[in-house]
Amino acid sequence: MSDARLWLAGITVLPALVIAASYFRIEVERLRRLAVASAAVMLLATLVISVSPQLRALSIRTTALSWLTEGEAIIRIDALSSVLLPFAAGLWVFTVAVTPRAALDRGGLRRTALSTLMTVASFLTESAVLLVLLSLASVWTFLSALSDTAHRAQRRIVAVYLGGSALAFGIGVALLIGPGAGNAKLETAGMWLIVTAALMRKGIVPFHAWVPEVFDHGRLGPAILFNAPQVGAYMTVVLVVPRATPEMLRVIAILALGTAVYGAALALVQTSARRACGYLFMSQSALVMAGLDCTSASALAGGLLVWLSAGLAFAGLARCLLVLEARRGRLDLNTYHGGYERMPLLAISFLCMGLACTGFPGTLGFVGQELLVNGAVDAFPTMGFAVVVASALTGLAVLRMYFSLFCGRPDAPSHSSVQFGLRRRETWTFVALVIALIAFGVAPRPLVDSRFAASDKILLLRDTHIRAQHKH
Amino acid sequence: MMPSLSLTLLVLVGVGSPTVLLAVLGCASLLNRPLPERWTGRIAAGSMMTACASLSVALVVYGVTGTGQQLVSYGAWSTSHEGGIAIEFLVDRLSLAFGALSAAIAGIVSAFSNRYLHRESGYNRYFVLLAMFVTGFLLVALAGNVEVLFVGWEFVGLSSALLVAFFHGRPAPVSNALRVLSVYRISDAAMFAAAVLLRHIAGTDSLSLLFGGGRSGSAAALTGSSATLIAMLLIVAVAGKSALLPFSGWLPRAMEGPTPSSAVYYGSLSIHAGCFLLLRSAPLLEHAPVARVLVGGLGAATAIFAGITTRVQSDVKSSLAYASLTQVGIIVMEIAVGLYTVAFIHLAGHACFRLLQFLSAPNVLHDLHGLENAIGERPSRGRRYFETLAPNRVRRLLYLVALERGFLDSIIDRVLVEPFMRIAGHLSRLDRWLCDAGVVTPRPVPIEASENQDE
Repeated sequence: MSDARLWLAGITVLPALVIAASYFRIEVERLRRLAVASAAVMLLATLVISVSPQLRALSIRTTALSWLTEGEAIIRIDALSSVLLPFAAGLWVFTVAVTPRAALDRGGLRRTALSTLMTVASFLTESAVLLVLLSLASVWTFLSALSDTAHRAQRRIVAVYLGGSALAFGIGVALLIGPGAGNAKLETAGMWLIVTAALMRKGIVPFHAWVPEVFDHGRLGPAILFNAPQVGAYMTVVLVVPRATPEMLRVIAILALGTAVYGAALALVQTSARRACGYLFMSQSALVMAGLDCTSASALAGGLLVWLSAGLAFAGLARCLLVLEARRGRLDLNTYHGGYERMPLLAISFLCMGLACTGFPGTLGFVGQELLVNGAVDAFPTMGFAVVVASALTGLAVLRMYFSLFCGRPDAPSHSSVQFGLRRRETWTFVALVIALIAFGVAPRPLVDSRFAASDKILLLRDTHIRAQHKH
Repeated sequence: MMPSLSLTLLVLVGVGSPTVLLAVLGCASLLNRPLPERWTGRIAAGSMMTACASLSVALVVYGVTGTGQQLVSYGAWSTSHEGGIAIEFLVDRLSLAFGALSAAIAGIVSAFSNRYLHRESGYNRYFVLLAMFVTGFLLVALAGNVEVLFVGWEFVGLSSALLVAFFHGRPAPVSNALRVLSVYRISDAAMFAAAVLLRHIAGTDSLSLLFGGGRSGSAAALTGSSATLIAMLLIVAVAGKSALLPFSGWLPRAMEGPTPSSAVYYGSLSIHAGCFLLLRSAPLLEHAPVARVLVGGLGAATAIFAGITTRVQSDVKSSLAYASLTQVGIIVMEIAVGLYTVAFIHLAGHACFRLLQFLSAPNVLHDLHGLENAIGERPSRGRRYFETLAPNRVRRLLYLVALERGFLDSIIDRVLVEPFMRIAGHLSRLDRWLCDAGVVTPRPVPIEASENQDE
């Protein structure tokens, strides 16, 4: 077994260990400590993989159940996945370290580990069939988090949209593998079904209604863990971008650019903080999608960067909201809540992560958004400016949320003894995330170069495929 | 031309020292371990002095060597075959002089604030935001490409809005800050769009190539229509940041912040950022006569409007802010007619003079109150004003317009904000309907207990 395989086995065993432990009668607090330790080790291991050139060259290919004659890599680590692995592990660390103790039970710890395992497995494969199976499994995990009667309505809407997405994905892949192989019409139909599945999974207009609903009335924690890694973007980048026709990519990019503005505009007028968060996510996730479908190296690299920055920053922002809700209950944006003086660190973290989410200069999102907008304007001279409008509106929406949630009301002296501060693990996790977002924003070169390497590889694959099609 | 090592170092120290200050104070805030006031004050003063001294020396070195405009590069945020994002500063007489002046003014304000905000609960926050402002402003002053300019532009905007909301225990400063930020975002979006268009049309983002050598710069490569389009976007950006018409409504709202920040933002530096940008992009304006006429008209209209409005303000800061705006309008007019040197001298002189007025305003008021108490009545003004020349009806009309600050806020609300909110509200309801009626039949009553179960 090569070194890379050992490392891979190691990182997949860690969440599996937590899942297995959750079935034993271990105290929940000990289980949580185990989860935090496993997540931290996984993060370190994935970071080693992402910086080590030897470990990044793994590829196990097969022609079984593949619609491509050259076969697909069922497991591979390359420029794209090597950065996505620490991203997924980081989200797991963040979730188990920050979620309030009372809110994370045994089932919750198991679900977070399972969800992470599936995300990591998705990021490691190119196989369409495996991705369909993992997509079904992750939707099932998300649905199981909404299994209580209070969330019946949200469960139904998730089942309709994400079930529909998984179904379309499955049928699309089946068409490509089965009768579609060699038949141009069926292949096109299959590709359109995969595109529709990706749009539904990403909440792109007109398939978006489930996103704000799940954030607003569903359970925020599972919603973050399900959405932040943006597996829909991965489906697009691996299956759609290399093989889609220019028309398909244009449709996706235009819908995504429209969604970016739509989500940002609606985030600005919401009265519920959770719903505003949902629309913000929609907007940012659509920007990623737009970048991936512009077929220019800049836009693609920008999209891949925004994927990381928006994913991390958004997860942080939504977790800040959860921490705040644990202390205050449901948050309404129509009134000022105050409280900056009692929890300055949470306020600063919220502001920094919100700004990182919008691509503010000095944060990781800035360079990504710059590259994305330049590429988008080259590809779509008029629609490309949607990124500019979306960026302006999301910035305003984030500041409105910040002012409403932390400012505008003095702290009542009669309640000065009430402790609203963060716990130590919350403090360190938030500080680490903010520092990471700013550090990569100030010195983004290594990450940018790696994203350009990934985008060059994707575009090369697309060129090869188009040339092969023309020859055929 | 390759810049000399000394210039490269001096500019790096000039821009780097407030950046280091921002990093140090920002980290202390983030870790909830603010430095003692004494240290913060000293570090801030030292940093501003260093920036001012190094940029002044750079200006002298530049003048002595007489090498002409230079581009100083400090690496890149990204590189690619489609063009990367470089960290570049444009070194010439204009940028160095403006940078040195800005650092000097920031140093004075920093020293003043150290005493003025003594024992204020937001002392450390104030200095973090001041450091962010100075960093951003120096980036604007010395920017060598549109990306660096945009970074500085955003830093200035964010720090300004957060300082307006400095006394965030009350709702009024916070809602006013949001209002100020809304205008700034329009300005930022216009700036971003202009930057992208410049890169897209001219094929370069370098300001030295675009606006550098007058008619020999790449601005000449822009055709009439594209130059006009970019110039129009820049005018929107300038109007938003410098409170020109029709965006002047945010200016009195911005006076909610502490006096030193009002002085540095709306008296001396931030309000002139737009003028500096116009000066920098003067070669572009020369290729866009329509835009130039618009700039001149905007400047004149703003100067007249602000000149009238300043006379009816009931608080000293608003009155001074509108007085600043009058001068900004005149400076903009000077740029429109091509008097660039006059405009820069006017800008520098006005920035210093207004800073003094803003900072001494609390003392003047205090002295005036003492005088009134001593003599038992209000001191006679004893002067005549030009308004008295106008007929009574016109005077009443002008008074009403000035008192209502040109009805600008309500016009913007009616034209922009309300339609936007209405459309967004309809779309939001449509989304809810899609969930309620289209897919989900029963909407359950939220159960608090189950919502706490969030992992």
